Amino acid sequence: MKIVSLVFLLLMFHLVNAQTVTLQGAIDRINTVKDYKADVQVKAAIPFIKIPITKAKVYFKAKNKFKVVSDNIVILPKQGMSDLNEFLVNPKRYTQVPGEYKMLNGLKTQLITLLPSDENSEIILAKVYLSAKEPLIYRTVLTTKSSGTVTIDYEYAESKAFGLPSKMTFYIDVRKFKMPKSVAANIRSTEKQRKTEENQKGSIVIYFSNYQVNKGISDSFFKED
Amino acid sequence: MLWKNTQNELIKITSKIRSYIGIGALTVLILLVIFAMQADGKTYIGFVTSTFEQTLTFNGNILNGNLIAFIIMQMLIVHVPLLIVLVTGDLLSGELASGTIRMLATKPISRTGIVLSKWFAATIYTLIMTLWMGFLSLFVAHWIFGTGDLMVLNPDGLLILPSDDLLWRFGISMVLAFLALWTVATLSLAFSAFAKNSVGPIVITMAVIILFTIIGTLDVTVFDDLKFYLFTTHMATWRIVFEDPFPTEDILISALVLLGHVVGLLLLAIYRFNRKDINA
Repeated sequence: MKIVSLVFLLLMFHLVNAQTVTLQGAIDRINTVKDYKADVQVKAAIPFIKIPITKAKVYFKAKNKFKVVSDNIVILPKQGMSDLNEFLVNPKRYTQVPGEYKMLNGLKTQLITLLPSDENSEIILAKVYLSAKEPLIYRTVLTTKSSGTVTIDYEYAESKAFGLPSKMTFYIDVRKFKMPKSVAANIRSTEKQRKTEENQKGSIVIYFSNYQVNKGISDSFFKED
Repeated sequence: MLWKNTQNELIKITSKIRSYIGIGALTVLILLVIFAMQADGKTYIGFVTSTFEQTLTFNGNILNGNLIAFIIMQMLIVHVPLLIVLVTGDLLSGELASGTIRMLATKPISRTGIVLSKWFAATIYTLIMTLWMGFLSLFVAHWIFGTGDLMVLNPDGLLILPSDDLLWRFGISMVLAFLALWTVATLSLAFSAFAKNSVGPIVITMAVIILFTIIGTLDVTVFDDLKFYLFTTHMATWRIVFEDPFPTEDILISALVLLGHVVGLLLLAIYRFNRKDINA
């Protein structure tokens, strides 16, 4: 009887422990967000691009409507903004493979690998690092057909109840820069400058503030100007 | 007497139809570029950003008045000299061809004064053309497209300059564009002092610009040392005003080279005209 109780307790412990690292909790939080708008500050350090720190407003409406409004030119990563959430909230689109535990900035996380079910999916592979304590994603490594591998680190503050980050850091691959001939004919350009550019890593840091969640945004707002 | 003669030269310029060809062509060209950009500007931007578009998205008002002004300047800086030469290449040789130079030489003004008054008139015409190009490209483009950050494709990559950091850069680039056009105007005046008809100096000046531009764009080492001394190399200096950090030294050097050309060519024109046998 004692052995049966011990086995039962161990099984319960395992089940409870497994519950804390399931992706569903994070998805449930994401699903509570029907729309949001937020102020963002974008700091980009991308090879071959020199851009000052810019401010903008971002607007999102489930499932995949996303718009950036700014007086400045704002550079954002092509993958990992609204498309990742759209992928995550539909579990039919992938198979979960739980992996190892890993410490990320002093926080215990579990790796969950997501394998897309659709052979034509833009996302080839997604690795999600989920907090062991709360249903929040702290890192995503996204491999896509067109953009290569994008690593996204998340930090959370006042809007963590909605699973909305206060800071996102994207690490991206920037392809070899090809200089158009017409521009290369510059009095200060050199052959060395034109030939040494190979694929390099870049980063984009986005700071989010003043989130306004579920206040309602019209569909027409997202239409192209 | 020099100023009065300059006024006379300006009256002569304004009375010739060819003086308005340049301004008219400039206006039509700029309005065409503005129309084309309004109709299909996004394709042009796609050409600039295509290298990065697989990993990045560019948001905000990219197609704005500052970008249009930059595009216009880039397109026209090669062609505007040809429009200016139509007027300035005729200033001395035209008088010789029509025979009015004899009457002009009887006036109480030295031959140096005659050349200087024509050079001042050419300078004013060049200045008007530059200001008109600046007004159309900057103010009209701003009026239609609004303001915004400027995206420039440099040899080092893509540079985005904030809108509040642009007006002074456009001001300096206009000054450099004027210096470039002034050099061309003085060159054609110098050729004009050698010729006896109007067509010669205009064609020769155009040929020199085309030849020097081709040498400047050829990627062969044999011309590397020569390129610095070609005024066409420094005519493109207005573009490096839109670099960061601001290349002060390069800009000053190019400005001095262009000014040196202006002074040198003016002295050549004065020397030649003073030795010219007008009675012949």
